[in-house]
Amino acid sequence: MTKSSEAISGAEPRNAALSKRLLDEYAAVRESLPGEVVSPARRQEAIQAISARGLPTTREENWRYTNLRPLERARFAPAAASAAVEAGALGTAAAIGAPALPLPSPSDLPPRLAGFARYAFVDGTFAPELSSPEEQAGLTVQSLRRAAQGTPGRPGSATVFQLSRALPALGNLSEARLALLNEAFATDTAAIHVGGAAEPARVELLFIALAGADSGASYPRVQLGLEPGSRLVLVERHIGAGAGSHFVNTSVDVDVGRGAHLTHYRLQQAGARATWLDTLSAVLAADARYGLLAINTGALSARSTTHIQMAGSGAELALSVAALGDRQQVQDNFALVEHIAPRARTEQTFRGIASGRARVAFNGKIAVREAAAGTDSRQSLRGLLAGPEAEIDVRPQLEIYTDDVRCSHGATAGKLDESMLFYLLSRGLSPEVAQRLLKWAFLEDVVSKIELPELRRQIEHDLAAQMADASLKELL
Amino acid sequence: MLKIENLHVKVDGKEILKGLTLTVPTGEVHAVMGPNGSGKSTLANVLAGRPGYEITSGTVTFQGRDLLALAPEERAREGVFLGFQYPVEIPGVNNVYLLKAAVNAARKHRGLEEVDAFEFLTLVKEKMRLMRMEDSMLSRGVNEGFSGGEKKRNEILQMLVLEPRLAILDETDSGLDIDALKIVAHGVNTLRSPERSLVLVTHYQRLLDYIVPDHVHVLVKGRIVRSGDKSLALELERRGYDWVTGEAA
Repeated sequence: MTKSSEAISGAEPRNAALSKRLLDEYAAVRESLPGEVVSPARRQEAIQAISARGLPTTREENWRYTNLRPLERARFAPAAASAAVEAGALGTAAAIGAPALPLPSPSDLPPRLAGFARYAFVDGTFAPELSSPEEQAGLTVQSLRRAAQGTPGRPGSATVFQLSRALPALGNLSEARLALLNEAFATDTAAIHVGGAAEPARVELLFIALAGADSGASYPRVQLGLEPGSRLVLVERHIGAGAGSHFVNTSVDVDVGRGAHLTHYRLQQAGARATWLDTLSAVLAADARYGLLAINTGALSARSTTHIQMAGSGAELALSVAALGDRQQVQDNFALVEHIAPRARTEQTFRGIASGRARVAFNGKIAVREAAAGTDSRQSLRGLLAGPEAEIDVRPQLEIYTDDVRCSHGATAGKLDESMLFYLLSRGLSPEVAQRLLKWAFLEDVVSKIELPELRRQIEHDLAAQMADASLKELL
Repeated sequence: MLKIENLHVKVDGKEILKGLTLTVPTGEVHAVMGPNGSGKSTLANVLAGRPGYEITSGTVTFQGRDLLALAPEERAREGVFLGFQYPVEIPGVNNVYLLKAAVNAARKHRGLEEVDAFEFLTLVKEKMRLMRMEDSMLSRGVNEGFSGGEKKRNEILQMLVLEPRLAILDETDSGLDIDALKIVAHGVNTLRSPERSLVLVTHYQRLLDYIVPDHVHVLVKGRIVRSGDKSLALELERRGYDWVTGEAA
């Protein structure tokens, strides 16, 4: 089914024109893109693959809830590369310099988390001015662009590690093909490598979109590798500077080695007018543990694609997503969890609230392959419709090719519970406060899983602000 | 305090209350008893303002004001409290937060400042000891994972903290064992005062052994068919509801 829909979309004239423009934009800036981040050959492969397949369209089943219209008018070339071309600086990593706009002041950034090393990227490119690196046992964090330039005095910057598996696998999944766009245009990569250590490493990646969408795109890019038995707590935050519109296309690639533990918090707090596209691909080896918790509140149009492969036996995944949409926001989420090896356990929790005229979607697919005997998979997807013109789409999909599995799933979409609402009113709370309180409570299943108290407080404040409710602050 | 006159109420197009008249003076405790389906819970819910009840005729006056014209939250702030027959669980909304929000809503309505957080917590803990509730229940979600008895005790705790002028307790005794019933009754009795009125809606006489009412009314098929003092409850217990339903038919 996916193949035929691709063929149709590829043949669609509007999309063909878009593919042509994509190639033209690439041709105009390719000389200025740093080969140290992605080799010219790989970029070429990626741009050809994506233009041949076409950008996604809403005619495809797993893209139907996404707002793809911003793609039609987007400038795909990275803002920094366009500026470099205009300045006549071509050919090397150095071509892409500091952003044309002033950097945000550190005081405008979210407060640092105690014990976390912070690495900031502005429009996808490492910004040392806003970073606070910290040496931690077993941890290497690099900007591939900087590493290639040979930044002196930074530990480990001499060797650029390679992920253990081949990256082109990234775009093979039709839903994950926006990662190809990132691969073609990337201006930098945050490369994180974690070896064994007594204490878990703690890293915060802060991606700031600065350039307006009219001057170009931003391509945050992360390659994350955990050696067997290693541990990492990663906070990945996406924000936008100023009220401008941004076009952001993120690609995150995760490799969790045997017995390694990764706790990964992803906060999408992009600017109110931003288009935010995102592809995360992860592979878990035997007995690896991955806790992935995403809170999506920002952007005007957001789409997250998550593809996780349980490739080793006994691996464990807890995927939790909370999404809030208000006004005309679109928050679309697609998650594919593939059970490839036996005895893996996965748990998916989604809580989404759509207010105003927003659309919030979660399409969660679980595929259990032939060899994945003893799979244990649970899925709980709930959407809350909090406005007469809002839309919620929660969709569980199961594909099972073996007998020995335990899969449970529940999906509900509905309005606020009338009996809960009346209970609160009967205690004197105003309808507005009661509704906000119930919305707050609805997210609890995800928020309560945040194990870092400091981060949890930050997130709760952000959620309270998003719900524009002073009375909720009392809760915190 | 409360004056109900010729109240007619429909639920899903079916008439449940058919001309109910009842007066509860200030400072009195009235029990409304009746068989299943007689309209007891409908009465309690209509007084609290629950949606889904169609009032076709009649009036309800509370302290001289038209109660039916007020929104549920306004009734609560004016001092009307409903103890639910089936208190809902609200995971994620913390018990103490709800209590504080409720108290502050009523205080704001009366033009008073918000409660002091420390004094409030001290007060709540004192009332919790009275209701034999663990402190840990405060930080849990509203009624989340509570047993039936714990939920009912939590209702009474809320009532003690809110100190309403008029409390309507809907089948507060149902599902309680004898020990829990005594705790609940003790809690209710501490709130009895000359300024306050209580309406106990119940199927059984048992509760009235511990909360002795000033008046007992028997509700059958949407009307009060008989009123008397506490001895009426005992007579009902002895003779069964057939005694009055036969008369009403």
